[in-house]
This record gives sequence, structure tokens and C-alpha cells, in this order.
Amino acid sequence: MGQLLRDIFSFGDRPLSERIVLLVFMAVVLTFPWLAESAYARAVMIKFLLIALFGLGWNLIGGYGGQVDLGQAKNVGFGAYATALMMFHWRTSFWLTVPVGIFFATLESFAVAYPMFRLRGHYFAIATLCVALVWKELFIFWDWTGGARGVEIPIKPTPNFTYMQFGSVGYHYFIFGLFMAQFLFMNWFRKSKLGYQLQAVRDNEDAAASLGINVTGTKVIAYCITAALGAVGGSFMTAYYLYIDPDLVMPLDLSILIAMTVMVGGAGSIWGPMIGAAALIPLDMYLGAWLAGGGHYGIDFMIYGFIIMIIAAYEPKGIWGMIERLTKRG
Amino acid sequence: MELATQLVTYGILIGCVFAFVSLGLSLIFGVMNIVNFAHGEFLMVGMYVAFLMSSYLPLDPLVSLPFAAALGFILGITSYRFLITHILRGPMVAQLFGTFGLMLFLRYLVMFVFGPDVRTLSHGILVGKTFSLGWVSLDASKVMAAGLCLLFFVFVYWMINRTKLGRALRATSLDAEAARYMGIDTENMNALAWGIGGATVGVAGGLLAHFYYVTPTVGMLFVLIAFATVALGGFGSISGAFLAGIIIGLIQVLGGHYLSELKFTFIYIAYFLTVVLRPRGLFGW
Amino acid sequence: MLLRVESLVKEFGGLVANADISLEVEQGEIVGLIGPNGAGKTTLFNCIVGYYKPTSGNVSFVGEDITGWPAHRVAKMGIARTFQNLRIMPLLTVEENIMVGAFCRTGDRQIARRDAHEILELVNLTGEAHASPTELPIASQKRIELARALATKPRLLMLDELAAGLNPLETKEIIQTLHRIKEERNLTLFLTEHVMEFIMIISERVIVMAAGRKIAEGTPEKVAKEERVIEAYLGERYAEGR
Repeated sequence: MGQLLRDIFSFGDRPLSERIVLLVFMAVVLTFPWLAESAYARAVMIKFLLIALFGLGWNLIGGYGGQVDLGQAKNVGFGAYATALMMFHWRTSFWLTVPVGIFFATLESFAVAYPMFRLRGHYFAIATLCVALVWKELFIFWDWTGGARGVEIPIKPTPNFTYMQFGSVGYHYFIFGLFMAQFLFMNWFRKSKLGYQLQAVRDNEDAAASLGINVTGTKVIAYCITAALGAVGGSFMTAYYLYIDPDLVMPLDLSILIAMTVMVGGAGSIWGPMIGAAALIPLDMYLGAWLAGGGHYGIDFMIYGFIIMIIAAYEPKGIWGMIERLTKRG
Repeated sequence: MELATQLVTYGILIGCVFAFVSLGLSLIFGVMNIVNFAHGEFLMVGMYVAFLMSSYLPLDPLVSLPFAAALGFILGITSYRFLITHILRGPMVAQLFGTFGLMLFLRYLVMFVFGPDVRTLSHGILVGKTFSLGWVSLDASKVMAAGLCLLFFVFVYWMINRTKLGRALRATSLDAEAARYMGIDTENMNALAWGIGGATVGVAGGLLAHFYYVTPTVGMLFVLIAFATVALGGFGSISGAFLAGIIIGLIQVLGGHYLSELKFTFIYIAYFLTVVLRPRGLFGW
Repeated sequence: MLLRVESLVKEFGGLVANADISLEVEQGEIVGLIGPNGAGKTTLFNCIVGYYKPTSGNVSFVGEDITGWPAHRVAKMGIARTFQNLRIMPLLTVEENIMVGAFCRTGDRQIARRDAHEILELVNLTGEAHASPTELPIASQKRIELARALATKPRLLMLDELAAGLNPLETKEIIQTLHRIKEERNLTLFLTEHVMEFIMIISERVIVMAAGRKIAEGTPEKVAKEERVIEAYLGERYAEGR
């Protein structure tokens, strides 16, 4: 039991400098509602934590597993819709809807995983994209899920712990709590047998098989865990945005954003998702929003695209890879 | 019966266009085993060339086709020299993401400069004109697009299979190292593949602009159609791409007629079923 | 009888890579498999470890029929292998590479790490535990791959061209390492090899293949003198040189 707790909470295998930065980061986030003056800044921080949360989950299959999944948005959608529909139709409390979202995301992922993992590289990536697009179109088409109109959640006076509705400070701690939970889960995961085996599969499938690892089975499990983690974030989106539709919770752009965030930050590293989100979200919410106000759309993604090209060409291990490389020399 | 003929005709017409759109993708993949996610963006640029030239100059959009081809060619070669040569050195994941980044960059560059609004061609010899053939009523622009796509497809096919340059390209795609030993400059061949890929899809974009809406985000849709076509036809097989294009065109038109909100869904499903059930496609290796 | 191969055939399309191969390996033996290029040694190897599925014939291990079993099941049964072209996991440290092997037998990280360190000592790599394997010389990387295979606690260790690319001193060291681990872990070794100096010295029994068939079997000296083997590629030098 003690070992389990240590595996979850301990970062002892990382250098002291990293642990200090982590503590500073947590301190900043914890006190942020008082540090930040504007409601907009608080909204940026919430978006940062949400995307970092999605990144943590994706990092499992995409970073540690090395399988580039471009369809994570479908899992977000499953979580979001499970929560929204149950709240809307049956007034179910938030925490009861989360397992339902997880269940459907995991079930669907398990069903498509075996055929999809017969594919490698590009073909796999495109297949994940297609599956996610098909689901989004089905959700638009299907009346019971509200189609393109989406689902509106009954709004309650805040704070409301049944539906998890709050003011911006409450949402901040809500998403931070979810983020920390998944962050600690990933900390445990990377040290676990499955974590090691998954990385072995990423690095060399044949060798992994020769060491007793069921390659496809491992990939499928990892893919399903990522789906479950994504669904949790989706449920949060419902509670936060109070209105969801396929374009908000399941668009291709979200899948791309999630994957990109981790790739830019450093896939396969526990810090990658946070670094990536820190690099991209403020860029989007400040520069992008500012210019969009003037009628100029798209500069944020233009810069993202450029950053991705640079990373792909010169630093495939992402910003974290660059940091590691530079600090090794020093 | 009339409806069936109408639908099938449209399916074949649009299928010719799809086949030509996927040609560039198949070529690049054949020569250097890399999948170009930005392929749809080159098409989108071709569409904008047609739109802009016909809007700001007193020219018929058809005149813009050579310019769309030229710009596509330049974009292809530039992308190769400045991006692809670098990402080829890295892991496969980086290759995937590199062209992804290019896709985003081009798409949002166009959006930034021209805005996100949907445009259509306002004038042109073929825009909005229809004529009848038997009991089938046809859009002139679609017939012209299909005809030209077919023509250019055959031209590229001829070039690949019957010219010395084409032979060099095929040699590079079969075994780059051996090709180098034979004195073929494989770097130039790779760049050429990208150039031709960009040019063909730029022209396709120019033609599509005649009857499809022009918007910065249209690229994603066409790159997925191209993927589905190449997968069905078999990666590396040009003749396979043609037949597959027709099939995909038919799927889109017939599926779209019965469930119009899901007309592209059928294509995505077609891709998925193809790669899972018959990864080699119809004619690929 | 540890390993038995009966009438194994492996075809690729029209090409017959292995034609009717039968052989046996007893517990505790060191058996070498040699043959000129294209003889089908690696194909046979891969059929046994589950990398390929044989077209026909049987493979049985400790009495159990493992024909056509996938590689990971074969590994769990107790057959470990190394790869000719070194399949080290580049993004994991030396210690982590070996731990992956150890995780075959345990779910506990502490135990896996302890096992890994025991083996690191056995192959003289303790100092490099936290190094990145890609920065180490080839001879060390081979020892890492050996160590990793060993971590799965096999009964039969199959080595694919282990000595390729090693200089004579490194070859001698690796022979010593193999003897040491064989004693320590009570292993049976089955090696395929091109480097004659290595395999003729270490093997107790040698099997010779050519053109997809088994053409000779016996002690290294006996096999080296057989006309068919010499015809295939060996010289009498090796027999006389001992």
C-alpha cells in the first residue's frame, strides 16, 4: 500500500530542478484566482488546465505508446454527451454521469481498437481521424442527442455540487483537481509494468513481443485508458460550458489541438502536456482573440502550424526534448 | 431509372475529379513513402487562385488553371526543399506531424489573409450552366471538370509510364538507393514528385471552384477523400487510384442522395473498411 | 527433450525457405546452427520463436506443442531470443531496457529492478545502468540485449548472430559471458552464427543447413570434415586448427 502511494506521489526519480519547478507551478495555479485580476485571465487558466488535462490522457497512447491518435475528440464527446444527456433528461448528478461517459468511450474504443491496430503509422492516424469524424457526423444526424442544436444543461444557482456548477473560481479548482488526479495517475502509470511494456512496444514491437509482451493487447488497453481519461474531460466541458454541441466537444480541430499540444511539449514525457499547453493556449487566447476582434482570424493556428513544422523538422522530441538536450550539455 | 442514371452519371463525373485529386497523393507516396497531409491545402490554394483571378481580373476562371498549376508546383517543391527534406531525417511520427503543421499553416494563412467566409465563383463560361444529354441533366462545369481531370490523369499516367523522366520517378519509388547507383538524382525526383503532386491538385482545385464552395477549410475534406481513394485503389497504384476514384464518387453521390447529411460519412467508412479488410486495396502492393 | 522440431516447412509464396527440417535440443546443451547465406537459418529461428508461422510441421518445447504460437506466448513459455540487428529500446535507459524483460515475470517494479540489477552484474554492465544504450559501443549493446532476454528467465536462450561485428577480444569476452550465464541460470543455448571462430569453439553440437535443408549434424570437428558441409562452404582449416 505504501509502495502504491509512493508510486503515485513520488517524483523522486526526476532531478531536483524538475521537482522544484513542479512545486512552483502548483503553487502558482493554486493561488491563481487571487493573482489574476481579470475574469478573462481566469478563463485562460481554466482552458490551459483543460487542454493540459486532455494532453495528459493523450500522452498515454500518443506519447508513451507512440501511436498517433487523431481522434481523441470522439472520447471527449462521449463524456460530454453522457453528462449532458443524463443531466438534461433525468437530472442526474454530475458524478454519476462520469462513469457512464467512461463506459461508452471505453466500450467504443475497445470495439474499434483491434481492427485499427492492424494498421501502422499514417494509416492508423488517418483511421482514427475517420472514426472520430464518423461519430461527429452521427451525433449531428441523431435527433436524440440534439443533433446540430446540441444540448443545454439546466442552469442552477452556484455553487451547485450536484451539477458541479460554480463561479469561475470554483471551476478553476474543479479543473485543477481533475488535472492533478490525472497527473498523479500518469505519474503512477509511467512507473508501472504497463507503462514500461507500452514504451517497449513503442520503441520496438518485435523486441517487445520477444519479451513476452502482447503487443496488440497492450496497445488496445492503452487506447482504452486514454479514451476513459478523455471522457472525464468531456464531462467537465459539459459542466463548464453549460451547453454542448458536436462542434464544441467533438470537432476535428480539438483532436488536432490535443495531439499537437503534447507533440509540441514533448510526447512521452510527464511534463510534455503542460509545456505544450502553456506554449499554445495563451498564444491562442491572447494573440488569436485580440486579432480576431479586429476581424483577422486564424493567426493563432497559423503560428501553431509553423511551430509544429519547426518541431517536426528540428526537434521531434518537442520543447521538453530541447530542454533535456540543452541541460545535458550544461 | 432516370434518377439512377442521373446519380450514376454524377458519381462517375465527380469520381474522375476525385481520382485526379488523389493522383498527386499516390505519386508522392509511391516515390517516397510519405503521406502529405497538406495535400488538401494545395487544392484549396488552387481554388483560391481561380476565385481571385476571376474576381479581380476580367478573366474566365478557366484561364486561371495554368496559374493554379504553377502555384501548386511551386508550393510542392518549396515544401519539399524547406520542410520535407528535414523531417525525413526524423522519426516517422515527426514526418506525420510535419506535413500536418504545413496543412495548418497554409489553411490558416489563407484564412488570415482572405477571411473565413465562403466564396463562390461569380462568373465564367461554365459556371452555373447546365445542358441535357438524353434524360440526364448535367452541370457544364462538372462535365468540363471531369473531362479535364480525365485528360490530365491520362497525361500524367503517360508521362510516368512512357517517358524517361517517368521511368526515373518509378525507379526512385521502387528502390531509391539503386536508382542513385544508376545516376538518377533522387533528390530531384522527390522534389519533382512533390511539384507534380502540387500542380495536379492545384488544377483540380481550380476546376472544383467552378461548382464547389471556396473556403479555407475545404482542404481537410478533400485530403480525406484522397486518402480513401488511394487506400481503396492501393497505395502506389495509379490506375488503381482511377478506378477507386470512380467508386468513391459513386459512393458519395448515391449515399448523399439517400442520406445527405452523411454523404461524407460513407467515404470515411469506406476508408476504414478498406484499410481494415483489404489493406492492399484493389491493386496496390 | 527441451526443444523438438519435426518436419518443419516454411514457404513464402513460391519460395521454400525451410524444407522438412527436424532437430532436437536437450536441456543443458549448447547447439550451433550454421550454414551459408540464404540457407534458411534465420527463417528456422523465427519459426521456432513465433515470429513466423510455419507452413507445416511441429515445434514442441518441454513437451508442449508451440507450433504457430505468437512470439509473446513463446517468450512466456521460456524461450528467449536476441536479434541480429540489435533491437534495443532507444528511449529507455539500460536498466529500463532490462526491466522490460523482467516485467515478463513480475508485476512489481521493485522486483523487476532488483532482477535487472542482478543481471547487470552477471554481464558486467552495472556501471552503465542509467546510461542511454545508443551511446554505448556495440559490444555493450549486445550484452544489454543478452541481459534483457535473460531477464525473462528463459530455459532456452536463442541467439541470432550474436558475434557479428565483434573483434576477437570482444568475441572471447562474450564467450566467457555466455558460459557464465549458462552456469548461473541453468540455460540451454541455441545459436545461429556466421563467425566460425565463435561458433565452432562454443558449440557442443553443430547443425548445418544449406538451401533450406539440414545437411549435417554432429560435433564441430566431425561436421567440419563432412564433404557436404565443405562443399556448402566450410574449409578443413577449422577442424585442423583446433
